[in-house]
Amino acid sequence: MFQQAPYRFLPEDFEQHWSPSVTMPYRELADARGMAATYHQMLDELILGARSGFDGVVVTEHGQAAYDITPNPSLPAAVLANTLRTEDLKAALIVLGRSLGKTREPLKIAEEYAMLDAMSDGRLIAGFPVGLSYDANINQGIPAVETRARFREGYDLLRRAWASDEAFAFNGRFSQYAHVNLWPRPVQDPHPPLWFPGGGTPSTMDWVLAQDAAFVLLTWFGVRMGGAGIFDRFWEMCEAKGKEINPHRVAVVQVCAVAETDERAEAEYGPWLEKGFRHGPGSMPQQFFVQPGYMPYRGLQGMLRSTADPGIAARLKTVTFKELLDEGCVIVGSPATVRERLEAVCREMRVGNLLAMLHMGEMPHELAQKSIRMFSEEVLPHVQGMWERDGYEHRWWPTGVPAKAVA
Amino acid sequence: MATAADVREEIVPVGDGRVGMRVQVRGNGPPLVFLHPAAGFAWDPFLEQLATERTVYAPLVPGTSPEDPDAIDEVRDLWELVLLEQEALAALGLLGADLVGSSFGGMLACELQATFPGMFGRLVVLDPIGLWRDDAPVANWLMAAPQDLPAMLFADPSSPGAQAMFTLPEDHTQMADAIAAMTWAMGCTAKFVWPVPDRGLDRRLHRITAPTLVIWGKEDALVSAVYAEEFGKRIAGARVEVLDGCGHVPQVEKQAETLALVRGFLS
Repeated sequence: MFQQAPYRFLPEDFEQHWSPSVTMPYRELADARGMAATYHQMLDELILGARSGFDGVVVTEHGQAAYDITPNPSLPAAVLANTLRTEDLKAALIVLGRSLGKTREPLKIAEEYAMLDAMSDGRLIAGFPVGLSYDANINQGIPAVETRARFREGYDLLRRAWASDEAFAFNGRFSQYAHVNLWPRPVQDPHPPLWFPGGGTPSTMDWVLAQDAAFVLLTWFGVRMGGAGIFDRFWEMCEAKGKEINPHRVAVVQVCAVAETDERAEAEYGPWLEKGFRHGPGSMPQQFFVQPGYMPYRGLQGMLRSTADPGIAARLKTVTFKELLDEGCVIVGSPATVRERLEAVCREMRVGNLLAMLHMGEMPHELAQKSIRMFSEEVLPHVQGMWERDGYEHRWWPTGVPAKAVA
Repeated sequence: MATAADVREEIVPVGDGRVGMRVQVRGNGPPLVFLHPAAGFAWDPFLEQLATERTVYAPLVPGTSPEDPDAIDEVRDLWELVLLEQEALAALGLLGADLVGSSFGGMLACELQATFPGMFGRLVVLDPIGLWRDDAPVANWLMAAPQDLPAMLFADPSSPGAQAMFTLPEDHTQMADAIAAMTWAMGCTAKFVWPVPDRGLDRRLHRITAPTLVIWGKEDALVSAVYAEEFGKRIAGARVEVLDGCGHVPQVEKQAETLALVRGFLS
């Protein structure tokens, strides 16, 4: 279950006036009670998901963002780690994660992940996002052209710090340490599963395959449309490299909602999902996604030269629930409808890890809880373990919990 | 505009061969070095006029040429950039040449003069960045929406010079390439000034010994004209000229006046 912490009390017409990241004015739009309530409800929903039988709980990181007020996902992950352990819940702790492209303290991430792995008794999946441009570059002040190089260097340092038997000095281009001697270390041997979120550029996927890690497509557009052209390419690359075509190598986010009937699901969740898309990705200025220098020159040139219709991506600010449903950005309906659609898209795209997003925007807590309960009772048992039943081993799952995924 | 035949490009190996510094050259007469602004280099009417009496050398910040975009990875910081620029100019026999710099290039020209006092000729800076006052923060051109840039750069964005600067090719591929090149150039130069364009130049400007002319647009919305005095008071003997009805790019918005000032100062 994939969860963010969108500030839950934004005004109705938010998208007409503000950006959901960097520039939205705090004093005008938010207050302490709203902040606290958002965190409380987010954590309650994640814990409800873990107690309800989801295979994993997912948290993400965004600084200076109204659509996710989680500047460090290790904080909610720490709460979850302890809950999973004390209640003996069989859910993975998936942190997708601390950004090595934006941090100036890469060893802190190595330490936090190691501590979370220990606190959760080996339930951690360690996610390594490059970091969004507005967050890494504008919020953190990292020159955009350095973002990827910092990510790679930080990742190499982290792996070495986790694995090294001896203390070492690190002379990096972006960080230097006199004496790296990490306490704590991860409890999973040799390390927690490594998941790499990204937008699906070939160079990133190539690198993920070279690491034999899992690739996570973080998309707002759902498994089918978000994955079109990306997963095909991933599997082609996988085959070309002589690696096993195993659906558990990929994960993708899908917004879902479940009610008793299709009609009721639309009536109850539709308006909130529509607002969630409009207030979140729909009102983000393009230059915040891609600061100059963030996207390599040739990639930028290719994107600008493309004449492909951007489709719904260009219309999110005014998008309607019907469009979201028709395009597959959301899968909403009765348990039977959601089951059938989810299974179909996961089969079609060969997705082994479905990250179901069951709350968005200002959706009320009670409604999110209802959707989580209905999904876990009436959808989850049907899609859970669908690829394992077909004989695919899950090699990208923490050793502290039994593998099942999908979901 | 300059045609390909008018312009030649030298590629000077610098940084122990790690970087090929691209230097565009045009014109006749004594050498003059032009250091370009953050969005990259382009020959404009101001430079074409200068090239009628001077040989204009324009070193491109590594990476800002679409021919070699990855060169930026070989320049770690502003200190290295200053050294590479000096190496290239020395290799081309341009020690002693006058330096003219616009905006980002104005800062770079100051850094060269402050790092190597006495090594170059006269200094002209057009609305340079490089200083910071909390009561007059430099506007953030990288965070700005593209449609807001003209008003940030020009007192009158509807003027023909301003319009010409923002007119893109009609052909889709050429337009895409032009936007990609400008965006990437802004990303490359940002490496040396992001997120706040202050690398301590205020503590080095006093080292400049070259005769200096500071030109500023009075209505500069990107770097306020209050900075003209900040540069003026730190560089001994500097002459400061503030132009009315002019924004951040005086060589475009007040081309004739700027050209007259520069010619008068350099002759």
